[in-house]
Amino acid sequence: MEHVRGLAFYTKLYRKILVQDLKTKMSYRADFIISTIGMIMTNLSGFVTFLILFRNFPTINGWDYYHMLFLYGFSLVALTPVQCFFDNNWNLRFMVYSGDFIKYCFRPVNVFFYFISEVFDVKGLGQLAFGIGTLVYSWIHIGLPVSFMIILKLIVFLITASLFMIALMNAAAATCFWIKNSGYVMVIMFRFKDFAKYPASIFSGIFKVIFTFVIPIAFVAYYPSLVILDPDNVPLLSLLSPVLGILFFYLSYKFWMLGVRKYDFTGS
Amino acid sequence: MEDYALVMKDVCKDFKVLNRHEGLKGSIQDLFSRDYKTISAVKDVSLNVKRGEIIGYLGPNGAGKSTTIKMMTGVLEPTSGEILVNGKVPYKNRTENCENIGVVFGQRSQLWWSLPLIESFKLLRDIYMVPKNEYNDMIELYKSLVDIEPIINKPVRQMSLGQRTLSDILAAFLHNPAIVFLDEPTIGLDVSMKDKIRSLIKGLNKEKNTTVILTTHDMGDVDALCKRIVIIDKGTKIYDNDIEHLKSYFGSYRTLHMRLADDTWESMLIDEKETDIMDVIMRKQKETKIKDIRLEEISTEEVIKKIYEGDAA
Amino acid sequence: MNPRKLLALTRAGIMESLQFRLGTFVTLFANLIYLVLVYYLWKAIYASSGVDVVNGMTFTDTMIYLILATSLFNFLEMFVVWDMSRSIQSGKIILDLLKPMKFRRYTFWSYSGSHVVSFFLTFLPTFVVVMIITHGAIHMGLNLIWFVIATVFALLINFNIEMLVATVCLYTESTWGINIVKETIVLLLSGASIPIAFFPDKLKTVVEYMPFRGVYDIPLTILLQKNGSDTLEGLLPMFLFQLIWIVILTAAGTLFWNYSVKKITVNGG
Repeated sequence: MEHVRGLAFYTKLYRKILVQDLKTKMSYRADFIISTIGMIMTNLSGFVTFLILFRNFPTINGWDYYHMLFLYGFSLVALTPVQCFFDNNWNLRFMVYSGDFIKYCFRPVNVFFYFISEVFDVKGLGQLAFGIGTLVYSWIHIGLPVSFMIILKLIVFLITASLFMIALMNAAAATCFWIKNSGYVMVIMFRFKDFAKYPASIFSGIFKVIFTFVIPIAFVAYYPSLVILDPDNVPLLSLLSPVLGILFFYLSYKFWMLGVRKYDFTGS
Repeated sequence: MEDYALVMKDVCKDFKVLNRHEGLKGSIQDLFSRDYKTISAVKDVSLNVKRGEIIGYLGPNGAGKSTTIKMMTGVLEPTSGEILVNGKVPYKNRTENCENIGVVFGQRSQLWWSLPLIESFKLLRDIYMVPKNEYNDMIELYKSLVDIEPIINKPVRQMSLGQRTLSDILAAFLHNPAIVFLDEPTIGLDVSMKDKIRSLIKGLNKEKNTTVILTTHDMGDVDALCKRIVIIDKGTKIYDNDIEHLKSYFGSYRTLHMRLADDTWESMLIDEKETDIMDVIMRKQKETKIKDIRLEEISTEEVIKKIYEGDAA
Repeated sequence: MNPRKLLALTRAGIMESLQFRLGTFVTLFANLIYLVLVYYLWKAIYASSGVDVVNGMTFTDTMIYLILATSLFNFLEMFVVWDMSRSIQSGKIILDLLKPMKFRRYTFWSYSGSHVVSFFLTFLPTFVVVMIITHGAIHMGLNLIWFVIATVFALLINFNIEMLVATVCLYTESTWGINIVKETIVLLLSGASIPIAFFPDKLKTVVEYMPFRGVYDIPLTILLQKNGSDTLEGLLPMFLFQLIWIVILTAAGTLFWNYSVKKITVNGG
């Protein structure tokens, strides 16, 4: 008796897990409220930091307030999927350390899928709202046009940007298969993302290469957003970003799965 | 070959670990050291398990039991040797192997923590693609074996340890696997719960002819469920036969219980070949009054203890 | 409490941290990358502003401040909140509570070992690198001793904040939410992400009275000899500020913890 499990199977299964998960989430009100407050606080403090910075320095590398705000909103929206769907990565370290991770290996489904599907985080939606608000506000002030094509472009490149962020967090989480106290890797990677909202043109030399191709934070907002902000002058990297995004996501997934295989499950 | 649910041939598993040094200075040295050593967790273990058989897989802590189980379930790849689970190599196709096995780790629930049990079951039904009628039959079977009413709508996080273990066992059998691995299923449970779990395992094994590999430290589990036991120590198989055979090997051993003047029972294990039981009693009688005497065959617990201590060789 | 026993916990902590050797190197490396990011951002910011001094801070001042704030952040980083919520969910907390030592004290001294390790592995190297790059922009004198004292106080304030937040874990499982609130508030209001010198005046006044300033801003201000901290008259109010907050937070933390534990034990959670 062999079963083939394809995309349709996984989609259906994910939907079912999601529905169940949401149902139980509703019954834990306190948790929901606390994490929502947490989310609002994070966004507020991020915004305050941004305002303080611009109060002292009106432009950064030729980018004015509203363009920077656009980048900021873009990065917030791009971060939503990683918050909502891939939040369980934060628990990976503890699972691996305690040996509990082994339970994900006994089911006839993809281990990565099974692990990630376990947690859906609603609070990320607050960030989405905040990001969209910022995006719309700066969109109006910059005076960008509104058309079907540009909205479609926006969506495609937002998804692209979030693929890079997911890839970064996957890779950071997967380090725990090799490194025992890797908690800090995720923490710092999560702080790296704060720099995604600044134009990548501030980097130069070898670090420009590193932040573009090794730790691709330049793709979390800067390159994909140029397609919208500067349509007459789109760099090649921006155009290639959807392909690169898929590639980075795939590589991070492979890295994660390699970790599962390398891990010797000695924790008990 | 066809008749075996599980075949292991000369299976070995080595681990590479860093040679750690002692003390604060050693810790700083280790930061830069490349001094590795190889540890053989499992050495040349061969094993055949028939369909429908329940075997007790025993051994002291750190003997290599869980490493073996992890290899059988396809999580670890053996360093050398061959394993066939249901005729297939487990680690080569993990997903396929997972369809044929069920796993329960005592104290580590594999169910969705916050979902009611029935919802977990439904998700598992989807994951294993169990046909609707087979699923319904299974639920009916469960109802006939245990009282699942009190737990079926309860989230796993709110269950007692016993209920959780029960749920995990039911979940492991849900897709009617050929083999189920039970790792210390009764650990930490009270006597009546242990009984319930044992009769459930027995019932499921009988109804579905499921092969069960049971690791445990509780000889009550072994007595209740297993005809055959396999004992592993320091990575090597040291015993593989019926319990009865083992007991007859120690046939000359008797446990002597004596109730003394202060109403306490004193027990000792005596090898009749070497010591005369009457002598022991008479010697004791000179010291104190003996109110009552009971003579028993050696218990499984004591047999296993003797084997762990190396008396079987 | 026998000080020997407490030092034994520190020693065990040091050894445990060193065991994870790969992690130690990766942490070091990740920090360097982070500092590179900070460097490029502020270089661009200062270049675009066209002036050398903003709010009394030169580029070098800001860099030194932020670099040291980051390494101070690593040095102070505790996973108390995460660890606590783990041990609550797994029930291990019961064992910890049964240890023959006050739980808060036990936690503090258990973490002290990793602080020692990260001081030598992250803070000290960063400090030396900053010294070399800036050709001695940091004054080497009594201020170093005052800085060390201020850092120890900062450690105590930070620990107390962590413990207060960790206690909330007894009531909810949303560890992420609690932790992120703590982290963002501390990072912003302590001046770790942007020096407090850049804050607008109103916000600055509010922040002046909050304990978070005692964690990053005060030790760094003392080290860089800003705001009159090179005189005893300037120094004393800062130390006093830290001490008062240590007392307040310790008292509040202990009360909250004891109350919560009692409540939880009664409810049999």
